[in-house]
This record gives sequence, C-alpha cells and structure tokens, in this order.
Amino acid sequence: MSKTRFIAILLFIGLIAQFGVCASGKPVGAAPQTAPAQQSWQREFEDVCSRTQDAMTFSQQELTALIQRCDALQGRIDKLDDTQKKVYMGRLRMCRGLYAYVLESKRNEKK
Amino acid sequence: MPMCSNRKETKKNRRGPSLLALIFGVLFLANNAWAQIYLPGPPPEQPSDYGKVILDSYSPAAGMHAVEFDHWQHRARFTCRLCHVDIGFAMEAKATGIQSATIRQGFHCGACHDGKRTFAGKTIFAACSDDRHDQRCARCHSVGVPNARQEEYRTFTAKLPKAFYGVDWEAAEKSGLIKPVDFLEGVSVQRQAMQSREDFSIKAGYSWVNPIVFSHEKHSIWNGCELCHPEIFPTAKRGTGRYSMFANIEGRYCGACHGKVAFPLNNCRLCHPRAPTWVAQ
Repeated sequence: MSKTRFIAILLFIGLIAQFGVCASGKPVGAAPQTAPAQQSWQREFEDVCSRTQDAMTFSQQELTALIQRCDALQGRIDKLDDTQKKVYMGRLRMCRGLYAYVLESKRNEKK
Repeated sequence: MPMCSNRKETKKNRRGPSLLALIFGVLFLANNAWAQIYLPGPPPEQPSDYGKVILDSYSPAAGMHAVEFDHWQHRARFTCRLCHVDIGFAMEAKATGIQSATIRQGFHCGACHDGKRTFAGKTIFAACSDDRHDQRCARCHSVGVPNARQEEYRTFTAKLPKAFYGVDWEAAEKSGLIKPVDFLEGVSVQRQAMQSREDFSIKAGYSWVNPIVFSHEKHSIWNGCELCHPEIFPTAKRGTGRYSMFANIEGRYCGACHGKVAFPLNNCRLCHPRAPTWVAQ
C-alpha cells in the first residue's frame, strides 16, 4: 500500500468517526438545550422569559413588546422536534400568558 | 253537606305533616349527598402517600411496572416551579407524555436523572437505561415491587416539622431545614429574585365566611408567577373571580395544588386565619 493511499484511508476513517454520530441520529443523552444550532432561538427565549418575575413592574408598552416577541418565537419553536417543541411551547405559553395577564390587569386598573 | 266538608278538611290536615316529613327527608338526603361530594376528603392514612402520582400510561404495555412518583422526595429539594415550568411537567398526572425515549433525550425526568448531574455531592442516577434487568429500574418503576424504594419516608422526613397531613413544608422551608433549588443549569433561565410581595386579603363571598389571607411571598418561593397566572387563576380583573370551596375541592383554583400536594383543604385556618379551629376528619 502506498503512503498516499494509507493517509487517504486514515483521513477517510477519521472523517467517518467525526460525522458518523450525526449521520446515525441524535446522540442519546446529550442535553438538547445546548446544541449550537438552537442557540439563536434559545437566546431569544431566555431573554424574553427571564423577566417574568418583574412582570408587574413593566409598563403596558413593555408588556406588549414582550408578548409580540413571544409570538415571533412561536414559529421558531414550532420547527423543533416533538418533545423539545412540546416542552418549550409549554414554557413559552406560560411566559406569554403571564405577560398578557399582567397587561390585562393593568388595563383593568386604569378603567 | 257541612259534615262532608269537615271530613275533607281533616284529610288535608293529616296530609300536612306527612308532606313536611317527606320534604325534610328528601332535603336531608340531598344535603348528605352534597356533603359527601363537597367536603374535602381526609388526607391518606400514610403521609408518604400524600402527593403520590402513579404513572402507568406506557410502562405496563412495555412490560414494566408502573412508575410511582413521590412528591415528598422531590419537593424537599426542588421548587414546584423548577419542575412544572422549566422542565415542563404538567400539573395533571399523566398529561406530560413522559416516555423512556424523552427521558433519554434529556427531557422530563432525564433533565436531572442523566447520571451526570449532581445534587449535594451525589450523582443523580440515570433514569431509563437500555438494560431492562437493571436493578435501578425499580427505583421508579416500583408499583407492586416490595421494598423497592431506597429512601424511606420516615427516615427522610425524621427531622422535618410535621403537620396533621405529613411534613409541614412551609415551616421546613422557613426554618432553613430544606432549601429548594430553583435553577437547573442548561434548562432554567437566569432570572432575578422576585421582589417581595405583600400578603393580601380576599374578601369571601358570604358574610359568615372569614376572609382569606393570601401570601404572595410564600407562594412565590415555590411557584414563581407563571405557574399560577393565568392558567390556574385566569381572571385579571380584581373582584371578578368566582372562587369557591366547591371548585377547590374539584381541583380547580387553590385545589390545583392544595389537597393534592400542598397542604390539604381540611384545615380552614390555614387560609382563613380568623376562622374557628376545625379540622375535617
């Protein structure tokens, strides 16, 4: 076997080892929340839903903006796989629901 | 003729008390039936059974014992919010759709039980391994398996304050005997501590019922805001919510937690502080 062919085979095996796991499906037990491809929607999710404790301190405009951001996130979460979608849709529903609830109570206070 | 008329009146007079007795009897039976339905049931005989959830949607079909989930083991360590908001467990038993596959993917029980995370210096055991003969299966799939539980209720709760239904979790938290964790790395969202909120009084709908004193502070320690609003308490306009003990006993409003996991509805004074001492048995 020539030296070049040997190196080519080694490189081929190395490539398979590198990407073979991805080709055969998701690694079992890996935390799905930390996959790099999901970071963008997750960052937005964390930013929007990290403020629920302060919901009562926000103005009506701020609450409306947060609700709109939640609605925009819905489409992105909808594209996730089943379980992840179910978990994050539930979390988003609660988060959005709270902002809408506080907004409604603030509007009622003004009446 | 006058004699005939007198006889009729006498018959009518005799019917009166019978009719009254009949009405009284019907009302008495109806009231009893109503009370049977709408009196809060007593807590289970074994305090360890309070808050127990049996999950048998998928296990028996897969040839496994059903899962026995004890709230007491978990609520001593974690807040309700962490599991029911961040991890996504539904508030109704069997509504989450937990399967071994979802656990292995790191969701539901697998969010903590992955064999990697640690709690108080100990590794949290991995749930749902591939080996069905694994001894660890029985730690959760324990319905009908004698002595399967490793942590026994009495030992676990020996140093915790007790109430008539089991552990007084509120007192345990207040005294620092338990410190429920509210954050799970990689799952929870970093958030600031909630500003302390004052208790408020909810006027009862009937003049003879003492007002409810609701503690936002106590509830927010365990629940955060979004666990209760708007799904359990949807009304945002003050004074328009139609809460009742009937609804609570049916598992709505306060009854979503109280009577299931949080302290039961039998002791009036826990919510109506000025009510006379009475504990339904």
